[in-house]
Amino acid sequence: MAASMELLCWGGDWDLPSVHTESLIVLAYAKFAGAKLTVKPVDWTWRTITAVIPQLNYECSSVTEPTQILNFLRKNRFNADYELSAKQGADTMAYIALLEEKLQPALLHTFWVDAENYSSLTKPWFAAHSPFPLGFFVPGRLAGAALSRILLTKAEAPLHSITEVEGKIYSDAKECLNLLSHRLGTSLYFFGNAPTSLDAFVFGYLAPLHKASLPSGQLQQHLKQLHNLCHFCSTILQNYFTEAGSGRPHSNQDAVDANLQKLTQLVNKESNLIEKMDDNLRSSPQHRLNRAHRPAPKPSFQTAGRNSTPA
Amino acid sequence: MSLAAEAFVSQIAAAEPWPQNATLYQPLRGNQVLMLSSVPQAYLRMCGLPVRVCCRANAEYMSPSGKVPFIHVGNQVVSELGPIVQFTKAKGHSLSDGLDDVQRAEMKAYMELVNNMLLTAELYIQWCDDTTASEITRQRYSSPYSWPLNHILAYQKQWEVRRKMNAIGWAGKGLEQVYEDVSQCCQALSQRLGTQPFFFNKQPTELDALVFGHLFTILTTRLTTDELSERIKSCSNLLSFCRRIEQTYFEEDKDSQSAGSQYSRGPSLF
Repeated sequence: MAASMELLCWGGDWDLPSVHTESLIVLAYAKFAGAKLTVKPVDWTWRTITAVIPQLNYECSSVTEPTQILNFLRKNRFNADYELSAKQGADTMAYIALLEEKLQPALLHTFWVDAENYSSLTKPWFAAHSPFPLGFFVPGRLAGAALSRILLTKAEAPLHSITEVEGKIYSDAKECLNLLSHRLGTSLYFFGNAPTSLDAFVFGYLAPLHKASLPSGQLQQHLKQLHNLCHFCSTILQNYFTEAGSGRPHSNQDAVDANLQKLTQLVNKESNLIEKMDDNLRSSPQHRLNRAHRPAPKPSFQTAGRNSTPA
Repeated sequence: MSLAAEAFVSQIAAAEPWPQNATLYQPLRGNQVLMLSSVPQAYLRMCGLPVRVCCRANAEYMSPSGKVPFIHVGNQVVSELGPIVQFTKAKGHSLSDGLDDVQRAEMKAYMELVNNMLLTAELYIQWCDDTTASEITRQRYSSPYSWPLNHILAYQKQWEVRRKMNAIGWAGKGLEQVYEDVSQCCQALSQRLGTQPFFFNKQPTELDALVFGHLFTILTTRLTTDELSERIKSCSNLLSFCRRIEQTYFEEDKDSQSAGSQYSRGPSLF
């Protein structure tokens, strides 16, 4: 390969090389197959609205869509699935279909349709990563595409609104996560000890859900309970994407800030607990006899307690 | 159906045994181009539950979710294979109880593959391919209605299907690409089936019913070209799988042909 392959994708954040599922799939597969890609993030360029992401440019041709890009890489002898038997190849197709049908609608909903997540996380991120006037259009366009995809594929004729479909897609997604967890079991990757295209797809779908700080994430809570899947994501990040994590000092600072915040929250919880214990103690039977002697200290302690909480 | 309603229906369903007069409704034979009545029928026969088949022109509108075919059992109406499986499970008949977790995961994955690939390809070929749509699909879909309703309904359905194809990214695919995808799907199924009689051990499961239903429908329906059925026939073990299931579970249909004419004679692989 004399000429290099160039990949257009969304930029990274939250310890991930990219926040966009499909870009992550391609990036992960390229690492697994040993393909050298020049990664060009489209952030802050006009390609946020003109290009279809992800897009692989090689010589004069360009390929879009993760499945097509993976086929293209395979044809050019970057094949991470070489060791798989035919049956395992069939299983790969089946599991990818499962991910697309059951997990993707709920992921799209979590990031793009759920009002709290969209307004506090997704929209600001994508608006901030687009050049000036496009920041008003890009998130809205992506959100509209996500909503229409969910409605057209999941909402049947009488159920045209999103609320009736929500329950179903989340329960399907949770079931899908459980099935993936059963299939992965205790092994490192889905097929033996080397990652394959299925691992790339699962990583692409799960990593943003695992790493993003979502204000309302019932699906994220569910994922966090499936330890083998979380371990799977962290392993891939550690083994294949460490240079992306270490080359950004901001993430360290963010980690420190996050720790400080956690510590503060813990201290506040502790002081609330102490206050409650004290209240219980004071209202307990032994103290009731003494209460008549000391009515004054209680209110002042409570006001002192209230002042200490917003620390 | 919302989750609470589903749970409620399951509870009611569990209360009564399977009645004798359960009915499966499907559109008129000449009407729909590719009918999938075989899927729930095959599943119910595999469970050993009796069901009558009834053809109605307005089956699509009677169905609670708009999908045909659907079953009418006791006081409940259930459509689509997923809810039907749950419904029969609530009544105590299940085909996939013997599977462990990993196998169940595989079964669900393969069912999604069939839904994702085969069903979407069928819809694409019927409605997005111009020749098929104009010569066959629109005619058949609109046949029970008079002018101008037939045109309106046919075009409305076509518009809906094309919109859906757009949303999932199939609109840009050419017909060749779709045939290629179907071949790959059939090869994957063929690999999984191997030389076994059914997909999982010796017992049929809902995956077998689903695969049989789709393949049978594709093989027995006439379209502008035979390309699709040729691709399936190239996987010989899938073809013998379909024949075997038809022989095992649909044999009694042929016996009762002479008995009554309420069982409409369906197509056959033989």
